[in-house]
Amino acid sequence: MGTDAFEFTINFVKMVAIFLMMVQIVPLLVWVERRGSAYIQNRFGPNRVGPLGLTQLLADAVKFLTKEEFVPGRGYPFIYYAAPVVAMIPATLALAAIPLSAPFHVEPFEMFGRNWGPYTFMFQGYDFGIGIVFVLGVSSLAAYALLLAGYGSNNKYSMYGALRASAQTISYELAMGLSIVGVILLFNTFSFTDIVNAQSAPLNFMWFGKKVVVEWLPNWGLIYQPLGAVILFAAMFAEANRLPFDLPEAEGELVAGYHTEYAGFKFNMFFIGEYGHMFVASALMVIFYFGGYTIYPWLTPETAPQIMGKLLGVTSATWMSFWGSILLHLVLMAKVVAFLWIFIQVRWTLPRFRYDQLMDLGWRSMLPWALFNTVITAIVVLLMRYQWGA
Amino acid sequence: MLWDAIGFYGMALFLIFFALKTITVPNPIHAALYLVLTMIGLAGMFFNLGAHFIAGVQMIVYAGAVMVLFVMVLMLFDLKAEIRSFSRGLLSGALKIMSSALLVGFALGSAGSSVAILDSSDTAPTQIDVTRQLGVLLYTKYLFAFEVLGILLLVVAVGVVAVSRMKGGTHAQH
Repeated sequence: MGTDAFEFTINFVKMVAIFLMMVQIVPLLVWVERRGSAYIQNRFGPNRVGPLGLTQLLADAVKFLTKEEFVPGRGYPFIYYAAPVVAMIPATLALAAIPLSAPFHVEPFEMFGRNWGPYTFMFQGYDFGIGIVFVLGVSSLAAYALLLAGYGSNNKYSMYGALRASAQTISYELAMGLSIVGVILLFNTFSFTDIVNAQSAPLNFMWFGKKVVVEWLPNWGLIYQPLGAVILFAAMFAEANRLPFDLPEAEGELVAGYHTEYAGFKFNMFFIGEYGHMFVASALMVIFYFGGYTIYPWLTPETAPQIMGKLLGVTSATWMSFWGSILLHLVLMAKVVAFLWIFIQVRWTLPRFRYDQLMDLGWRSMLPWALFNTVITAIVVLLMRYQWGA
Repeated sequence: MLWDAIGFYGMALFLIFFALKTITVPNPIHAALYLVLTMIGLAGMFFNLGAHFIAGVQMIVYAGAVMVLFVMVLMLFDLKAEIRSFSRGLLSGALKIMSSALLVGFALGSAGSSVAILDSSDTAPTQIDVTRQLGVLLYTKYLFAFEVLGILLLVVAVGVVAVSRMKGGTHAQH
Protein backbone atom coordinates (compact mmCIF):
# COMPACT_ATOMS: atom_id res chain seq x y z
CA MET A 1 0.00 0.00 0.00
CA GLY A 2 2.79 2.46 0.66
CA THR A 3 5.87 3.25 2.64
CA ASP A 4 4.65 6.27 4.64
CA ALA A 5 1.48 8.00 5.77
CA PHE A 6 1.09 10.21 2.70
CA GLU A 7 1.43 7.41 0.17
CA PHE A 8 -0.81 5.19 2.26
CA THR A 9 -3.54 7.83 2.47
CA ILE A 10 -3.49 8.58 -1.26
CA ASN A 11 -3.60 4.89 -2.18
CA PHE A 12 -6.48 4.30 0.20
CA VAL A 13 -8.46 7.25 -1.14
CA LYS A 14 -7.76 5.99 -4.66
CA MET A 15 -9.14 2.52 -3.89
CA VAL A 16 -12.35 3.95 -2.45
CA ALA A 17 -12.67 6.43 -5.33
CA ILE A 18 -12.41 3.69 -7.95
CA PHE A 19 -15.06 1.60 -6.21
CA LEU A 20 -17.33 4.62 -5.89
CA MET A 21 -16.75 5.48 -9.53
CA MET A 22 -18.05 2.08 -10.59
CA VAL A 23 -21.05 2.30 -8.28
CA GLN A 24 -21.85 5.90 -9.23
CA ILE A 25 -21.69 5.31 -12.95
CA VAL A 26 -24.57 2.84 -12.67
CA PRO A 27 -27.44 5.30 -12.03
CA LEU A 28 -26.11 7.53 -14.80
CA LEU A 29 -25.97 4.58 -17.17
CA VAL A 30 -29.46 3.55 -16.19
CA TRP A 31 -30.65 7.05 -17.01
CA VAL A 32 -28.80 7.03 -20.35
CA GLU A 33 -30.18 3.58 -21.08
CA ARG A 34 -33.79 4.59 -20.40
CA ARG A 35 -33.59 7.94 -22.16
CA GLY A 36 -31.56 6.40 -24.97
CA SER A 37 -33.99 3.55 -25.49
CA ALA A 38 -36.82 6.08 -25.55
CA TYR A 39 -34.91 8.09 -28.14
CA ILE A 40 -34.30 4.99 -30.26
CA GLN A 41 -37.93 3.90 -30.02
CA ASN A 42 -39.32 7.41 -30.55
CA ARG A 43 -40.72 7.74 -27.02
CA PHE A 44 -40.11 10.27 -24.23
CA GLY A 45 -38.71 8.07 -21.49
CA PRO A 46 -38.54 9.23 -17.87
CA ASN A 47 -38.69 13.04 -18.15
CA ARG A 48 -40.93 14.10 -15.26
CA VAL A 49 -38.73 14.00 -12.15
CA GLY A 50 -36.27 16.87 -12.15
CA PRO A 51 -34.43 18.39 -15.12
CA LEU A 52 -34.35 15.89 -18.05
CA GLY A 53 -35.68 13.25 -15.66
CA LEU A 54 -32.29 13.09 -13.93
CA THR A 55 -33.64 12.86 -10.38
CA GLN A 56 -35.64 9.81 -11.42
CA LEU A 57 -32.49 7.98 -10.28
CA LEU A 58 -32.91 9.24 -6.72
CA ALA A 59 -36.53 8.18 -6.75
CA ASP A 60 -35.44 4.74 -7.97
CA ALA A 61 -32.86 4.49 -5.21
CA VAL A 62 -35.44 5.34 -2.57
CA LYS A 63 -37.77 2.75 -4.06
CA PHE A 64 -35.03 0.10 -4.03
CA LEU A 65 -34.17 0.83 -0.41
CA THR A 66 -37.72 0.84 0.93
CA LYS A 67 -39.13 -2.19 -0.87
CA GLU A 68 -40.44 -5.07 1.16
CA GLU A 69 -37.82 -7.61 2.18
CA PHE A 70 -38.57 -10.99 0.68
CA VAL A 71 -36.89 -14.36 1.09
CA PRO A 72 -38.17 -17.51 -0.63
CA GLY A 73 -39.46 -19.87 2.04
CA ARG A 74 -37.84 -23.05 0.80
CA GLY A 75 -34.60 -21.65 -0.58
CA TYR A 76 -31.18 -21.59 1.02
CA PRO A 77 -31.11 -18.24 2.84
CA PHE A 78 -27.33 -17.94 3.15
CA ILE A 79 -26.72 -18.64 -0.55
CA TYR A 80 -29.69 -16.47 -1.47
CA TYR A 81 -28.18 -13.50 0.36
CA ALA A 82 -24.64 -14.22 -0.81
CA ALA A 83 -25.48 -14.16 -4.53
CA PRO A 84 -26.02 -10.37 -4.96
CA VAL A 85 -22.79 -9.66 -3.07
CA VAL A 86 -20.88 -12.11 -5.23
CA ALA A 87 -22.38 -10.41 -8.30
CA MET A 88 -20.59 -7.16 -7.47
CA ILE A 89 -17.17 -8.61 -6.64
CA PRO A 90 -15.80 -9.57 -10.11
CA ALA A 91 -16.48 -6.21 -11.76
CA THR A 92 -15.12 -4.29 -8.76
CA LEU A 93 -11.90 -6.30 -8.56
CA ALA A 94 -11.38 -6.20 -12.32
CA LEU A 95 -11.80 -2.43 -12.44
CA ALA A 96 -9.24 -2.01 -9.64
CA ALA A 97 -6.57 -3.65 -11.84
CA ILE A 98 -7.21 -1.55 -14.95
CA PRO A 99 -5.09 1.60 -15.37
CA LEU A 100 -7.47 4.52 -15.84
CA SER A 101 -4.79 7.05 -16.72
CA ALA A 102 -1.03 7.60 -16.82
CA PRO A 103 0.73 7.52 -13.44
CA PHE A 104 1.47 10.94 -11.94
CA HIS A 105 4.64 11.95 -10.17
CA VAL A 106 4.81 13.96 -6.97
CA GLU A 107 8.05 15.89 -6.52
CA PRO A 108 9.58 16.09 -3.03
CA PHE A 109 7.76 18.67 -0.86
CA GLU A 110 7.59 19.83 2.75
CA MET A 111 4.55 19.41 4.99
CA PHE A 112 4.08 19.28 8.80
CA GLY A 113 7.76 20.10 9.25
CA ARG A 114 9.24 17.14 7.43
CA ASN A 115 10.15 16.23 3.88
CA TRP A 116 8.01 13.90 1.83
CA GLY A 117 8.39 12.27 -1.52
CA PRO A 118 9.11 11.85 -4.28
CA TYR A 119 6.26 9.53 -5.15
CA THR A 120 4.73 7.98 -8.25
CA PHE A 121 1.06 7.11 -8.04
CA MET A 122 -0.54 4.73 -10.49
CA PHE A 123 -3.99 5.82 -11.64
CA GLN A 124 -5.44 2.42 -10.73
CA GLY A 125 -6.37 0.46 -7.64
CA TYR A 126 -3.44 -1.88 -7.69
CA ASP A 127 -0.80 -2.55 -10.32
CA PHE A 128 -0.44 -6.26 -10.98
CA GLY A 129 2.48 -7.06 -13.23
CA ILE A 130 0.17 -9.50 -14.99
CA GLY A 131 -3.01 -7.42 -15.04
CA ILE A 132 -4.62 -9.26 -17.97
CA VAL A 133 -4.44 -12.66 -16.27
CA PHE A 134 -5.86 -11.15 -13.09
CA VAL A 135 -8.78 -9.48 -14.87
CA LEU A 136 -9.60 -12.68 -16.77
CA GLY A 137 -9.37 -14.64 -13.53
CA VAL A 138 -11.72 -12.51 -11.48
CA SER A 139 -14.23 -11.95 -14.26
CA SER A 140 -14.45 -15.73 -14.75
CA LEU A 141 -15.98 -15.81 -11.26
CA ALA A 142 -19.02 -13.88 -12.48
CA ALA A 143 -20.87 -17.10 -13.30
CA TYR A 144 -21.09 -17.99 -9.60
CA ALA A 145 -23.35 -15.06 -8.79
CA LEU A 146 -25.92 -16.39 -11.27
CA LEU A 147 -25.51 -20.02 -10.15
CA LEU A 148 -25.83 -19.08 -6.48
CA ALA A 149 -28.87 -16.92 -7.18
CA GLY A 150 -30.57 -19.69 -9.14
CA TYR A 151 -29.76 -22.34 -6.57
CA GLY A 152 -30.45 -20.25 -3.48
CA SER A 153 -33.90 -19.18 -4.70
CA ASN A 154 -34.98 -22.81 -5.17
CA ASN A 155 -37.27 -21.84 -8.00
CA LYS A 156 -37.44 -23.61 -11.34
CA TYR A 157 -37.28 -20.44 -13.41
CA SER A 158 -34.33 -19.15 -11.42
CA MET A 159 -32.59 -22.49 -11.80
CA TYR A 160 -33.08 -22.63 -15.58
CA GLY A 161 -31.83 -19.07 -15.85
CA ALA A 162 -28.77 -19.92 -13.78
CA LEU A 163 -27.96 -23.04 -15.81
CA ARG A 164 -28.34 -21.19 -19.08
CA ALA A 165 -26.21 -18.37 -17.77
CA SER A 166 -23.36 -20.58 -16.66
CA ALA A 167 -23.37 -22.55 -19.92
CA GLN A 168 -23.28 -19.26 -21.80
CA THR A 169 -20.49 -17.72 -19.73
CA ILE A 170 -18.28 -20.80 -20.06
CA SER A 171 -18.82 -20.98 -23.82
CA TYR A 172 -18.01 -17.36 -24.46
CA GLU A 173 -15.17 -17.16 -21.96
CA LEU A 174 -13.13 -19.42 -24.24
CA ALA A 175 -13.55 -17.15 -27.24
CA MET A 176 -12.86 -14.11 -25.06
CA GLY A 177 -9.65 -15.52 -23.60
CA LEU A 178 -8.39 -16.65 -27.00
CA SER A 179 -9.06 -13.28 -28.64
CA ILE A 180 -6.99 -11.60 -25.92
CA VAL A 181 -4.09 -14.00 -26.59
CA GLY A 182 -3.57 -12.22 -29.93
CA VAL A 183 -3.04 -8.90 -28.13
CA ILE A 184 -0.70 -10.49 -25.60
CA LEU A 185 1.40 -12.00 -28.41
CA LEU A 186 1.43 -8.74 -30.32
CA PHE A 187 2.54 -6.47 -27.50
CA ASN A 188 4.55 -9.20 -25.79
CA THR A 189 3.33 -8.36 -22.29
CA PHE A 190 0.69 -9.11 -19.65
CA SER A 191 0.64 -5.58 -18.29
CA PHE A 192 -2.06 -3.07 -19.23
CA THR A 193 0.27 -0.12 -18.76
CA ASP A 194 2.84 -1.58 -21.16
CA ILE A 195 0.11 -2.21 -23.75
CA VAL A 196 -1.10 1.40 -23.55
CA ASN A 197 2.44 2.76 -23.73
CA ALA A 198 3.13 0.63 -26.80
CA GLN A 199 0.06 2.11 -28.47
CA SER A 200 1.11 5.69 -27.74
CA ALA A 201 3.55 5.69 -30.67
CA PRO A 202 3.41 5.86 -34.48
CA LEU A 203 2.42 2.61 -36.18
CA ASN A 204 5.53 0.47 -36.14
CA PHE A 205 6.06 -3.19 -36.81
CA MET A 206 8.69 -5.63 -37.99
CA TRP A 207 8.54 -6.68 -41.64
CA PHE A 208 10.75 -9.74 -42.04
CA GLY A 209 13.19 -8.42 -39.49
CA LYS A 210 13.19 -4.81 -40.74
CA LYS A 211 11.42 -2.08 -38.76
CA VAL A 212 8.64 -0.24 -40.59
CA VAL A 213 7.21 3.01 -39.20
CA VAL A 214 4.07 4.72 -40.50
CA GLU A 215 4.05 8.22 -39.05
CA TRP A 216 0.46 9.19 -39.68
CA LEU A 217 -1.22 6.29 -37.87
CA PRO A 218 -1.25 5.51 -34.14
CA ASN A 219 0.03 2.07 -33.08
CA TRP A 220 -3.42 0.87 -32.03
CA GLY A 221 -4.20 -2.80 -31.51
CA LEU A 222 -7.25 -2.53 -33.77
CA ILE A 223 -5.02 -2.18 -36.83
CA TYR A 224 -3.31 -5.52 -36.13
CA GLN A 225 -6.19 -7.40 -34.54
CA PRO A 226 -9.52 -6.40 -36.13
CA LEU A 227 -10.88 -9.94 -35.86
CA GLY A 228 -9.81 -10.25 -32.24
CA ALA A 229 -11.49 -6.92 -31.45
CA VAL A 230 -14.81 -8.04 -32.96
CA ILE A 231 -14.72 -11.40 -31.16
CA LEU A 232 -13.78 -9.82 -27.84
CA PHE A 233 -16.53 -7.23 -28.08
CA ALA A 234 -19.18 -9.83 -28.97
CA ALA A 235 -18.00 -12.14 -26.19
CA MET A 236 -18.17 -9.24 -23.74
CA PHE A 237 -21.86 -8.82 -24.54
CA ALA A 238 -22.39 -12.47 -23.66
CA GLU A 239 -20.31 -12.17 -20.48
CA ALA A 240 -22.32 -9.17 -19.30
CA ASN A 241 -25.60 -10.96 -20.15
CA ARG A 242 -26.74 -8.08 -22.30
CA LEU A 243 -29.03 -8.29 -25.27
CA PRO A 244 -28.75 -10.02 -27.74
CA PHE A 245 -27.22 -12.55 -25.31
CA ASP A 246 -29.55 -12.05 -22.34
CA LEU A 247 -31.03 -15.55 -22.43
CA PRO A 248 -30.42 -16.14 -18.71
CA GLU A 249 -33.13 -13.59 -17.98
CA ALA A 250 -35.34 -13.95 -21.07
CA GLU A 251 -38.64 -12.59 -19.75
CA GLY A 252 -40.77 -14.37 -22.31
CA GLU A 253 -39.52 -17.77 -21.22
CA LEU A 254 -38.15 -17.53 -17.69
CA VAL A 255 -40.06 -14.70 -15.92
CA ALA A 256 -36.79 -12.93 -15.04
CA GLY A 257 -34.34 -15.82 -14.96
CA TYR A 258 -31.94 -16.07 -12.05
CA HIS A 259 -33.16 -12.91 -10.33
CA THR A 260 -36.86 -13.83 -10.35
CA GLU A 261 -36.90 -13.99 -6.53
CA TYR A 262 -34.87 -10.84 -5.97
CA ALA A 263 -36.36 -7.44 -5.29
CA GLY A 264 -35.30 -4.12 -3.86
CA PHE A 265 -31.67 -3.57 -3.07
CA LYS A 266 -30.67 -7.17 -3.71
CA PHE A 267 -31.89 -6.83 -7.29
CA ASN A 268 -30.09 -3.52 -7.49
CA MET A 269 -26.79 -5.20 -6.64
CA PHE A 270 -27.20 -7.58 -9.59
CA PHE A 271 -27.87 -4.51 -11.66
CA ILE A 272 -24.69 -2.79 -10.46
CA GLY A 273 -22.79 -5.97 -11.27
CA GLU A 274 -24.13 -6.02 -14.82
CA TYR A 275 -23.34 -2.38 -15.50
CA GLY A 276 -19.98 -2.75 -13.82
CA HIS A 277 -19.26 -5.58 -16.21
CA MET A 278 -20.19 -3.36 -19.15
CA PHE A 279 -17.85 -0.69 -17.84
CA VAL A 280 -14.96 -3.13 -17.44
CA ALA A 281 -15.66 -4.59 -20.89
CA SER A 282 -15.57 -1.15 -22.51
CA ALA A 283 -12.38 -0.24 -20.66
CA LEU A 284 -10.74 -3.48 -21.83
CA MET A 285 -11.76 -2.83 -25.44
CA VAL A 286 -10.32 0.69 -25.26
CA ILE A 287 -7.06 -0.47 -23.67
CA PHE A 288 -6.46 -3.44 -25.95
CA TYR A 289 -7.50 -2.00 -29.29
CA PHE A 290 -8.09 1.76 -29.11
CA GLY A 291 -4.99 3.22 -27.52
CA GLY A 292 -6.19 3.28 -23.91
CA TYR A 293 -5.85 6.72 -22.36
CA THR A 294 -3.74 8.12 -25.18
CA ILE A 295 -4.48 9.64 -28.58
CA TYR A 296 -1.22 9.62 -30.51
CA PRO A 297 0.19 12.11 -31.57
CA TRP A 298 -1.79 14.75 -29.67
CA LEU A 299 -2.41 13.35 -26.22
CA THR A 300 0.26 11.06 -24.81
CA PRO A 301 1.69 10.70 -21.28
CA GLU A 302 4.52 13.00 -22.45
CA THR A 303 2.47 15.85 -23.95
CA ALA A 304 -0.55 15.89 -21.61
CA PRO A 305 1.22 17.63 -18.64
CA GLN A 306 2.53 20.38 -20.96
CA ILE A 307 -0.91 20.95 -22.47
CA MET A 308 -2.58 21.18 -19.07
CA GLY A 309 0.23 23.37 -17.74
CA LYS A 310 -0.35 25.89 -20.53
CA LEU A 311 -4.12 25.64 -20.25
CA LEU A 312 -4.35 26.15 -16.48
CA GLY A 313 -1.22 28.27 -16.09
CA VAL A 314 0.38 25.94 -13.51
CA THR A 315 4.12 25.55 -13.51
CA SER A 316 4.89 23.18 -10.64
CA ALA A 317 5.87 19.75 -11.98
CA THR A 318 3.63 17.93 -9.50
CA TRP A 319 0.47 19.75 -10.50
CA MET A 320 1.25 19.58 -14.21
CA SER A 321 1.71 15.84 -13.91
CA PHE A 322 -1.49 15.54 -11.88
CA TRP A 323 -3.64 17.56 -14.29
CA GLY A 324 -2.07 15.72 -17.22
CA SER A 325 -3.22 12.44 -15.68
CA ILE A 326 -6.70 13.88 -15.22
CA LEU A 327 -6.78 14.91 -18.88
CA LEU A 328 -5.72 11.43 -20.00
CA HIS A 329 -8.33 9.97 -17.68
CA LEU A 330 -10.96 12.07 -19.44
CA VAL A 331 -9.68 10.76 -22.78
CA LEU A 332 -10.12 7.18 -21.56
CA MET A 333 -13.58 7.96 -20.19
CA ALA A 334 -14.64 9.54 -23.50
CA LYS A 335 -13.68 6.37 -25.36
CA VAL A 336 -15.31 4.16 -22.71
CA VAL A 337 -18.52 6.18 -22.91
CA ALA A 338 -18.57 5.68 -26.68
CA PHE A 339 -18.43 1.93 -26.16
CA LEU A 340 -21.06 2.05 -23.43
CA TRP A 341 -23.33 3.80 -25.88
CA ILE A 342 -22.74 0.98 -28.40
CA PHE A 343 -23.80 -1.47 -25.67
CA ILE A 344 -27.03 0.46 -25.22
CA GLN A 345 -27.66 0.98 -28.92
CA VAL A 346 -27.23 -2.74 -29.61
CA ARG A 347 -29.54 -3.68 -26.77
CA TRP A 348 -32.38 -1.63 -28.21
CA THR A 349 -31.71 -2.58 -31.83
CA LEU A 350 -31.12 -6.34 -32.04
CA PRO A 351 -33.56 -9.08 -31.04
CA ARG A 352 -32.55 -11.89 -28.70
CA PHE A 353 -30.93 -15.08 -30.05
CA ARG A 354 -32.52 -18.47 -29.70
CA TYR A 355 -30.62 -20.71 -27.32
CA ASP A 356 -29.34 -23.08 -30.00
CA GLN A 357 -28.22 -20.09 -32.09
CA LEU A 358 -26.35 -18.77 -29.08
CA MET A 359 -24.47 -22.02 -28.53
CA ASP A 360 -23.86 -22.36 -32.26
CA LEU A 361 -22.37 -18.89 -32.48
CA GLY A 362 -20.19 -19.46 -29.44
CA TRP A 363 -18.78 -22.88 -30.26
CA ARG A 364 -18.93 -23.16 -34.05
CA SER A 365 -18.19 -19.60 -35.15
CA MET A 366 -16.46 -17.52 -32.51
CA LEU A 367 -14.24 -20.19 -30.97
CA PRO A 368 -12.80 -21.43 -34.30
CA TRP A 369 -12.29 -17.86 -35.50
CA ALA A 370 -10.59 -16.92 -32.25
CA LEU A 371 -8.35 -19.99 -32.53
CA PHE A 372 -7.57 -19.09 -36.12
CA ASN A 373 -6.74 -15.55 -35.06
CA THR A 374 -4.40 -16.82 -32.34
CA VAL A 375 -2.56 -19.23 -34.64
CA ILE A 376 -2.18 -16.70 -37.45
CA THR A 377 -1.00 -14.01 -35.03
CA ALA A 378 1.54 -16.40 -33.53
CA ILE A 379 2.90 -17.41 -36.97
CA VAL A 380 3.06 -13.84 -38.25
CA VAL A 381 4.69 -12.53 -35.08
CA LEU A 382 7.28 -15.31 -35.24
CA LEU A 383 8.04 -14.75 -38.95
CA MET A 384 8.23 -10.97 -38.71
CA ARG A 385 10.38 -10.82 -35.58
CA TYR A 386 12.79 -13.51 -36.79
CA GLN A 387 16.16 -11.99 -37.63
CA TRP A 388 16.15 -12.62 -41.40
CA GLY A 389 19.65 -12.68 -42.85
CA ALA A 390 21.19 -11.52 -39.60
CA MET B 1 7.62 -10.51 7.20
CA LEU B 2 5.20 -10.75 10.11
CA TRP B 3 2.25 -9.69 7.98
CA ASP B 4 3.24 -12.20 5.31
CA ALA B 5 3.27 -14.94 7.92
CA ILE B 6 -0.11 -13.88 9.33
CA GLY B 7 -1.56 -13.80 5.81
CA PHE B 8 -0.11 -17.21 4.98
CA TYR B 9 -1.26 -19.03 8.12
CA GLY B 10 -4.61 -17.27 8.20
CA MET B 11 -5.28 -18.28 4.64
CA ALA B 12 -3.99 -21.79 5.31
CA LEU B 13 -6.47 -22.17 8.16
CA PHE B 14 -9.31 -21.01 5.93
CA LEU B 15 -8.18 -23.40 3.20
CA ILE B 16 -8.12 -26.37 5.57
CA PHE B 17 -11.54 -25.43 6.90
CA PHE B 18 -13.05 -25.17 3.39
CA ALA B 19 -11.38 -28.40 2.28
CA LEU B 20 -12.70 -30.22 5.34
CA LYS B 21 -16.17 -28.84 4.69
CA THR B 22 -15.90 -30.04 1.08
CA ILE B 23 -15.59 -33.65 2.16
CA THR B 24 -17.94 -33.53 5.16
CA VAL B 25 -21.08 -31.67 4.01
CA PRO B 26 -23.73 -34.15 2.81
CA ASN B 27 -25.22 -31.97 0.05
CA PRO B 28 -23.08 -32.43 -3.13
CA ILE B 29 -23.78 -28.90 -4.39
CA HIS B 30 -22.68 -27.37 -1.10
CA ALA B 31 -19.58 -29.55 -1.24
CA ALA B 32 -18.81 -28.23 -4.73
CA LEU B 33 -19.30 -24.64 -3.53
CA TYR B 34 -16.85 -25.25 -0.68
CA LEU B 35 -14.44 -26.65 -3.25
CA VAL B 36 -14.81 -23.38 -5.18
CA LEU B 37 -13.86 -21.46 -2.05
CA THR B 38 -10.90 -23.80 -1.61
CA MET B 39 -9.77 -23.10 -5.18
CA ILE B 40 -10.08 -19.34 -4.74
CA GLY B 41 -8.22 -19.58 -1.43
CA LEU B 42 -5.49 -21.56 -3.18
CA ALA B 43 -5.20 -18.82 -5.79
CA GLY B 44 -4.87 -16.31 -2.96
CA MET B 45 -2.18 -18.51 -1.43
CA PHE B 46 -0.20 -18.59 -4.69
CA PHE B 47 -0.57 -14.83 -4.94
CA ASN B 48 0.65 -14.39 -1.38
CA LEU B 49 3.70 -16.52 -2.19
CA GLY B 50 4.55 -14.33 -5.19
CA ALA B 51 3.42 -16.67 -7.98
CA HIS B 52 1.01 -14.19 -9.53
CA PHE B 53 0.72 -15.95 -12.88
CA ILE B 54 -0.09 -19.31 -11.32
CA ALA B 55 -2.63 -17.57 -9.08
CA GLY B 56 -4.31 -16.04 -12.12
CA VAL B 57 -4.34 -19.32 -14.02
CA GLN B 58 -5.69 -21.10 -10.95
CA MET B 59 -8.57 -18.60 -10.92
CA ILE B 60 -9.26 -18.85 -14.66
CA VAL B 61 -8.98 -22.62 -15.06
CA TYR B 62 -10.11 -24.12 -11.76
CA ALA B 63 -12.26 -21.54 -10.02
CA GLY B 64 -13.64 -19.99 -13.20
CA ALA B 65 -14.12 -22.86 -15.62
CA VAL B 66 -13.80 -26.34 -14.08
CA MET B 67 -15.75 -25.58 -10.92
CA VAL B 68 -18.48 -23.68 -12.76
CA LEU B 69 -18.99 -26.80 -14.85
CA PHE B 70 -18.95 -28.97 -11.73
CA VAL B 71 -21.59 -26.90 -9.97
CA MET B 72 -23.69 -26.66 -13.12
CA VAL B 73 -23.59 -30.40 -13.81
CA LEU B 74 -24.38 -31.20 -10.17
CA MET B 75 -27.42 -28.95 -10.41
CA LEU B 76 -28.56 -30.74 -13.57
CA PHE B 77 -28.11 -34.31 -12.37
CA ASP B 78 -30.30 -36.52 -10.30
CA LEU B 79 -27.67 -37.62 -7.82
CA LYS B 80 -29.62 -40.09 -5.70
CA ALA B 81 -28.09 -43.18 -7.32
CA GLU B 82 -24.58 -41.78 -6.97
CA ILE B 83 -25.12 -40.83 -3.34
CA ARG B 84 -26.42 -44.35 -2.60
CA SER B 85 -23.56 -46.12 -4.29
CA PHE B 86 -20.82 -43.98 -2.78
CA SER B 87 -21.96 -43.31 0.76
CA ARG B 88 -22.39 -46.71 2.36
CA GLY B 89 -20.66 -50.08 2.54
CA LEU B 90 -17.48 -51.48 3.99
CA LEU B 91 -15.84 -51.88 0.60
CA SER B 92 -16.32 -48.29 -0.52
CA GLY B 93 -15.27 -47.07 2.92
CA ALA B 94 -12.07 -49.09 2.71
CA LEU B 95 -11.49 -47.79 -0.84
CA LYS B 96 -11.94 -44.23 0.33
CA ILE B 97 -9.48 -44.62 3.19
CA MET B 98 -6.98 -46.34 0.91
CA SER B 99 -7.19 -43.72 -1.80
CA SER B 100 -6.87 -40.83 0.63
CA ALA B 101 -3.88 -42.51 2.27
CA LEU B 102 -2.34 -42.97 -1.18
CA LEU B 103 -2.93 -39.31 -2.00
CA VAL B 104 -1.42 -38.10 1.26
CA GLY B 105 1.56 -40.37 0.65
CA PHE B 106 2.07 -38.98 -2.84
CA ALA B 107 1.76 -35.39 -1.62
CA LEU B 108 4.22 -35.88 1.23
CA GLY B 109 6.62 -37.83 -0.96
CA SER B 110 6.67 -35.22 -3.71
CA ALA B 111 7.00 -32.39 -1.19
CA GLY B 112 9.90 -34.21 0.45
CA SER B 113 11.72 -34.83 -2.81
CA SER B 114 11.31 -31.28 -4.11
CA VAL B 115 12.81 -29.33 -1.24
CA ALA B 116 15.33 -27.87 -3.68
CA ILE B 117 12.54 -25.75 -5.19
CA LEU B 118 12.07 -24.03 -1.85
CA ASP B 119 15.62 -22.60 -1.84
CA SER B 120 15.32 -18.90 -2.53
CA SER B 121 17.34 -17.52 -5.41
CA ASP B 122 19.71 -14.56 -5.02
CA THR B 123 17.88 -12.12 -7.26
CA ALA B 124 14.17 -11.47 -6.91
CA PRO B 125 12.68 -12.16 -10.35
CA THR B 126 9.88 -9.97 -11.72
CA GLN B 127 6.50 -11.47 -12.52
CA ILE B 128 7.17 -11.32 -16.27
CA ASP B 129 10.40 -13.29 -15.79
CA VAL B 130 8.58 -15.90 -13.71
CA THR B 131 5.93 -16.31 -16.39
CA ARG B 132 8.54 -16.59 -19.13
CA GLN B 133 10.57 -19.16 -17.19
CA LEU B 134 7.42 -21.16 -16.61
CA GLY B 135 6.60 -21.19 -20.30
CA VAL B 136 10.14 -22.13 -21.34
CA LEU B 137 10.35 -24.93 -18.78
CA LEU B 138 6.96 -26.27 -19.81
CA TYR B 139 7.96 -26.47 -23.47
CA THR B 140 11.53 -27.74 -23.03
CA LYS B 141 12.37 -29.68 -19.88
CA TYR B 142 8.85 -30.87 -19.04
CA LEU B 143 7.58 -31.18 -22.61
CA PHE B 144 6.97 -34.93 -22.31
CA ALA B 145 4.98 -34.66 -19.07
CA PHE B 146 3.03 -31.75 -20.56
CA GLU B 147 2.08 -33.69 -23.70
CA VAL B 148 1.21 -36.81 -21.70
CA LEU B 149 -1.13 -34.74 -19.56
CA GLY B 150 -2.72 -33.41 -22.73
CA ILE B 151 -3.31 -36.96 -23.98
CA LEU B 152 -4.76 -37.90 -20.60
CA LEU B 153 -7.26 -35.07 -20.85
CA LEU B 154 -8.11 -36.09 -24.42
CA VAL B 155 -8.76 -39.67 -23.27
CA VAL B 156 -11.02 -38.39 -20.52
CA ALA B 157 -12.94 -36.22 -23.00
CA VAL B 158 -13.41 -39.15 -25.40
CA GLY B 159 -14.53 -41.33 -22.50
CA VAL B 160 -17.07 -38.75 -21.39
CA VAL B 161 -18.52 -38.55 -24.90
CA ALA B 162 -18.70 -42.36 -25.08
CA VAL B 163 -20.46 -42.62 -21.72
CA SER B 164 -22.89 -39.82 -22.49
CA ARG B 165 -23.90 -41.43 -25.81
CA MET B 166 -24.73 -44.68 -24.04
CA LYS B 167 -28.44 -45.04 -23.48
CA GLY B 168 -29.14 -43.98 -19.92
CA GLY B 169 -25.69 -42.48 -19.43
CA THR B 170 -24.04 -43.37 -16.13
CA HIS B 171 -27.29 -44.95 -14.94
CA ALA B 172 -27.37 -47.48 -17.83
CA GLN B 173 -29.04 -50.79 -17.09
CA HIS B 174 -27.21 -53.76 -18.58
